[in-house]
Amino acid sequence: LSPCHGQGHPRQPQTGRNLRAVLCQRCGSRVLLPGALLLPAMRKKAAAAAAGGGGDVLREHWLVRDMFSFENVGFTRDVGNVKFLVCADCEAGPIGWHCLDDKDSFYVALERVAHE
Amino acid sequence: MEPGSGLPQRRAGGGGLDLGAGSAAGSPLQVIIIGSRGVGKTSLMERFTDDTFCEACKSTVGVDFKIKTVELRGKKIRLQIWDTAGQERFNSITSAYYRSAKGIILVYDITKKETFDDLPKWMKMIDKYASEDAELLLVGNKLDCEVDREITRQQGEKFAQQITGMRFCEASAKDNFNVDEIFLKLVDDILKKMPLDVIRNELSNSILSLQPEPEIPPELPPPRPHVRCC
Repeated sequence: LSPCHGQGHPRQPQTGRNLRAVLCQRCGSRVLLPGALLLPAMRKKAAAAAAGGGGDVLREHWLVRDMFSFENVGFTRDVGNVKFLVCADCEAGPIGWHCLDDKDSFYVALERVAHE
Repeated sequence: MEPGSGLPQRRAGGGGLDLGAGSAAGSPLQVIIIGSRGVGKTSLMERFTDDTFCEACKSTVGVDFKIKTVELRGKKIRLQIWDTAGQERFNSITSAYYRSAKGIILVYDITKKETFDDLPKWMKMIDKYASEDAELLLVGNKLDCEVDREITRQQGEKFAQQITGMRFCEASAKDNFNVDEIFLKLVDDILKKMPLDVIRNELSNSILSLQPEPEIPPELPPPRPHVRCC
C-alpha cells in the first residue's frame, strides 16, 4: 500500500489492521482507533457524484465491518442507495461511504482522512 | 422508525440501513433532544469550524445520524445521535420516541425569548408521552451570544426547579462550551439509576433530535397529573 500525503499506513502483519488512528483532516476528530479497521485497501471507487459536485475517483479505502466500531462518524441521508460518511464533529466530508445493499461494509477513503 | 428495536424502517426507497444490535451488548438507551426550531439542537452535536470543506455535502444532502463516543465512569459509551430535522412532521411515531427515552434534553435559545416561552408546550409533550422516570435536562443554548441574551440564567434555573428532577445548564454549541458535559451529565444520571448488571455490558445509547414544532391538537384529552411538579 503506497502512502498518501507522505504518511505511511503501517499495518499489523497478521491481521492487516491499521496501526494508527484515523482522524478527520479538518478538525482532528477521532474517526477510528488503531486496530479498528481491516485492510486490504479495497480497490473501489467512491460512489459517483459526491454531493460537492465534480467528484474524485478514490481507489483506496479502509473497510470497516461494524458500524459500532467507529469512534465518531456521521452518516448522511441516502443518496440513491448510498450513505456518505462525514466527520461527526465538523461534518467535513465525504470521508467514506456505505452502500445500503451491503450492510456489513463501511468504506473510509484514505485520501479523505488523516492518520495519527 | 422503531426506537426500541434499533432497526429503523425506512419509508421510501432503498433497502434501509440495517443498524442491527451492533457490537454493543444490551438494548440501546434512548435519549431525545427536543426544543423549538432554531435553538441549536443539531448544533449541540457538532462543532462547526470553518466552511472551506464540503459545505455542499452538509447542506444539500444533510446528516442522518451520528455515532459518537464518550468516556464515562471508566466505560466507553457509544452515542447514536439522530437528527430528524425536515423529515417527518410530528406524528404518532414521535410519541414512541418519548415513551422509550431514558433521557430528555430540552433546549431553548437564551437570545430568543419565544423559545423559552415555548417550553411549557414541550413539557406538555413530556407529560403526555414520556416515561415518568426519564431523566430531564434543560439547556439554555447560545451562550456565545451573551450580548443578545434575553433569558437570564436565573430564569432558566427557576423553570427547571419547578419540575422534579430536572437539571439545568447553559451551553454554547458554537464555542463547544459545556456541550460534551451535557451528554455526559445526562448519561451519567441515567447510568446511576441502572442496575449494575446492565452497566457491566457495554451500552449503546441513542439520541434523537426532534426539530419540528409539536402540533398539539385542540381536543387534547385532559392531561394526567403533572407528576413532575413539586
